[in-house]
Amino acid sequence: MISIVASMFPSYSSILYQVLQDHTTQEEIQWLDSIPKTDSLALMTSFVKTPRFIQKTTIQKTSQNLIPEIPGFQVEHWNLVRLSRVWLLTFVSDFPKDQCIQTIETLFDTAELNELVALFSALPLLPFPEVWLPKATDAVRSNMGFVFDAIAIQNPFPFQYFSELAWNQLVLKTIFNAKPIELIYGLIERKNLNLAFSTIDFVKERWAAGRDVPANVWQLVSLYVSESEISLIERLFLSEKEEDQIAASLICSESNWNSFQSLFIKYPKYKEEIQKRKWDWSKLSIVFK
Amino acid sequence: MCENNHQTSNHPSHFENQNDSNEIPTHVELKWDEFQEKIRGFRFFDPHIHMVSRTTDDYQNMAQAGIVAVIEPAFWVGQPRTGLSTFKDYYSSLVGWERFRSSQFGIKHYCTIGLNSREANNERLADEVMEILPLYIYKEGVVGIGEIGFDDQTELEEKYYRLQLELAKEAKLPVQIHTPHRDKKRGTERSMSIALEHGLDPSFVVVDHNNEETVKSVLDQGFYAAFTIYPFTKMGNKRMVSIVEEYGAEKIMINSSADWGISDPLAIPKTAALMVSRGISHDVIRKVTYENAIEAFAKSGQIHVSDFENGLSSDPSDKFHGNSVLRGGQQPKRNQNSLFID
Repeated sequence: MISIVASMFPSYSSILYQVLQDHTTQEEIQWLDSIPKTDSLALMTSFVKTPRFIQKTTIQKTSQNLIPEIPGFQVEHWNLVRLSRVWLLTFVSDFPKDQCIQTIETLFDTAELNELVALFSALPLLPFPEVWLPKATDAVRSNMGFVFDAIAIQNPFPFQYFSELAWNQLVLKTIFNAKPIELIYGLIERKNLNLAFSTIDFVKERWAAGRDVPANVWQLVSLYVSESEISLIERLFLSEKEEDQIAASLICSESNWNSFQSLFIKYPKYKEEIQKRKWDWSKLSIVFK
Repeated sequence: MCENNHQTSNHPSHFENQNDSNEIPTHVELKWDEFQEKIRGFRFFDPHIHMVSRTTDDYQNMAQAGIVAVIEPAFWVGQPRTGLSTFKDYYSSLVGWERFRSSQFGIKHYCTIGLNSREANNERLADEVMEILPLYIYKEGVVGIGEIGFDDQTELEEKYYRLQLELAKEAKLPVQIHTPHRDKKRGTERSMSIALEHGLDPSFVVVDHNNEETVKSVLDQGFYAAFTIYPFTKMGNKRMVSIVEEYGAEKIMINSSADWGISDPLAIPKTAALMVSRGISHDVIRKVTYENAIEAFAKSGQIHVSDFENGLSSDPSDKFHGNSVLRGGQQPKRNQNSLFID
């Protein structure tokens, strides 16, 4: 785990401020400028009051690599209230450790849904990640969709700091909630054997109940599926859904098991297209969204 | 107060004074089909309901009956809280989970935040609660300070009532006043005179749980008069119809105060149906069941009618991707006439 040095934070503030300047009205930026940035109570109440002064304009295209030191952190499609709040939190980062932690803890304790979204969105920028880790894993347990999304979707914090167990829970819950797993930052890099086993169990449970799973979920399983599970792949080939058949073909194309290669010969419909790179897991996510 | 839990007199239940009223419960007044026909086309706004103690079935029935938005005032959860954390969790649930749950069923949820009168009697805890209130009252969708006022009419209740009136003034938020069950007339007058003494504009103050004895004075002094249709202990809806006939619709609003007691989250639509039967005009009904509440609480700057007047803007199941209340892909409305539970 990488520990981030406090002195880096002012630069985060200025990067976010630039985006704010590009999207706010003069009146809005004046309000943001008027907040005393070294006063903890003022920062907290401003964090709460933000929607009274800032519109919920959606931020359009920004750099995907907004903060080079934190790959995966991006503010595209956030609204201005969320960005303003995250920006305010970068000033809390400059406080002495105890005061910083206490201020952020108080905001967490008293937060409503949109404030929680901002707090979880800010985690990659905050110092002392080990302090926020339990909150982040708790957020995965949240039943509030927006809160779950704030930690699970396009947020680099779990990729960087979650244990394997917590990471796997995040991915499984994303599947369970029928949300797009391809938007989890670092999904491919953190594929692992235990996650594959749990996913296979989950698929069997869904199928037993007469329900299905999105085809791109099979990318978590692909490298780890054993020969004894070949009946699952054959069932995928027999699915009426094209995306399931493509997923089965992708699994076979990635597998070294002879039995899987034999299966691929039996169902060769997408073999050529895969060889020509018409299909891979990311394209499956995009085409069958 | 929490140190003396055995003193039950400090915690009278909502069933107290049962014998004072011979009201028939509202839910037996109309046949269901008849009721539905009468409220067809109406939209309702319940400005006082404690959804935290209601079920998801209630949300479904409320949405079906035309309730498009509610205000949930912070109040007493049935037993005294023993620490600040439980207050924080409660307030957070009002602006967080409960609002989310409500949205899943197409109902816009607002709240008022305050330290309730019963718990104002625990001074140590009350002081702590007052410190965190500013972090809640400025939140999105918080449309006022409430419900505050008197219960036993103690000195401590007055102290925290006054402090919260000042907070409301500073934040330019409406106030929702709970008037006491016992000695109501005196408690109501005292609540109003203190509010005026603190310089509050009466059009920013909703005096709740009125009855035939209090309504005239409340309206005469320029306050909003809210009526709680609550079986046994508060106002019955037949009596309510008579009040509307006598006083008209100006500054009068109806609510259910439905909570953990025997109460009815459909109190407003049922009262509206009764008013239709009695020939009260649709304009008057709309005012007392929808418009007046919006007019009063929109002074907070937090209510935007366009958010709910035609239902919440998106299909809840799409919006939240089937998360949570709708677990694992449940649909917003299950078929209650089927034996099969898929």
